Amino acid sequence: MNGLEREIVGLLPRLRRFARALARAPADADDLVQLTVERALTRRDQWRAGTRLDSWMFRIMKNAWIDETRARSRQGGLFAPAEAGERVGDDGAGAMEARLAAAEVERAMARLPADQRLAVALVLVEGLSYQEAADVLEIPAGTLTSRLVRGRMALMADLAEARP
Amino acid sequence: MSAEQRLIAYLDGELSPAEREAFEAELAADPALAAQVELHAALSARVARTYAPVLDEPVPPRLTAIASVANDRGGLMSSLPRWAAMAACLVVGVLAGRAFWPQGGPLAMHGRALVAQGGLDQALTHQLASDPGAIRVGLSFRARDGRYCRTFQSPDDHLAGLACRGDGRWVAETAVAWTAQAQPDYRTAASATPPAVLAAIDAMIAGEALDAGAERAARDRGWKP
Repeated sequence: MNGLEREIVGLLPRLRRFARALARAPADADDLVQLTVERALTRRDQWRAGTRLDSWMFRIMKNAWIDETRARSRQGGLFAPAEAGERVGDDGAGAMEARLAAAEVERAMARLPADQRLAVALVLVEGLSYQEAADVLEIPAGTLTSRLVRGRMALMADLAEARP
Repeated sequence: MSAEQRLIAYLDGELSPAEREAFEAELAADPALAAQVELHAALSARVARTYAPVLDEPVPPRLTAIASVANDRGGLMSSLPRWAAMAACLVVGVLAGRAFWPQGGPLAMHGRALVAQGGLDQALTHQLASDPGAIRVGLSFRARDGRYCRTFQSPDDHLAGLACRGDGRWVAETAVAWTAQAQPDYRTAASATPPAVLAAIDAMIAGEALDAGAERAARDRGWKP
């Protein structure tokens, strides 16, 4: 393994987390990570050493996800059914409650339009600054902020409804 | 900046020091605004908490495997025949259900499975690790699901991998682009086995690898579990 591969292996946990925020069903998310890594390796000459590898790979994943989403919607309903993303185990009551709370968030995220979901995932899940997130998405910072705000407001409304 | 934008930018640490100070002064004087901030802070924490556990999950070997494909020969992917580079991303192809493999290669798509054919199928079925041949068979072992699995290396195809026996065929669980090292002695299976294949073995093996006697016995039974 040379330097880039090693760095990519180090990034895999974060790539998986970002993918999970986008694709929800764990198997779909890992497929997305796989596609991302594969694309990154075939385009390795486009990677400029010294720039942020995470941002570069998030951008590749964003594009891969959008491509896949479009391809799937053309083929019609190939997305995993909504419940496939939920893994409610038989662990303790506390863990169960946390799991259910997480499942509500996952459901609410899955209802967000793609552009808002990307903004929320980069800032709230991955902790990128607005400028970094805007760079990943290749949009102006103002557009990022408005997508983020709309996404947050939608999540807020959705989750408030889910709570009795 | 709208009121929401400002509030959220405050929480995300995106306000300038002056804007921040002004916002905090308003906050101190406006309980309704403070309540809003609290709601949004709770949302941020909840979203982060939902996905944080993913970082602690073990990374599936297939993902580490792709990133390891180039191993210590940098740029391997670009210097190999196109189909060998495809082997590197075979799982992507399998999952996408695309039949991309050229006819006559060592592996062929059957539905969602990548199945050994031709010389590779023959070697996996009949050859012992000690037998010579264009294709080398390395370790044989029982997987946790009961199937027999064997590692293989095909220098001519620039391919190494792991295949398991089921329904009368060998299904590749892992296959990576691989090139025999310069020394002629690529027979020493363990040292020549790519990390991705080793990782797949670790993930699947039940107990120990078969010794020569058990390998022969399993072959003579036709690799039936």
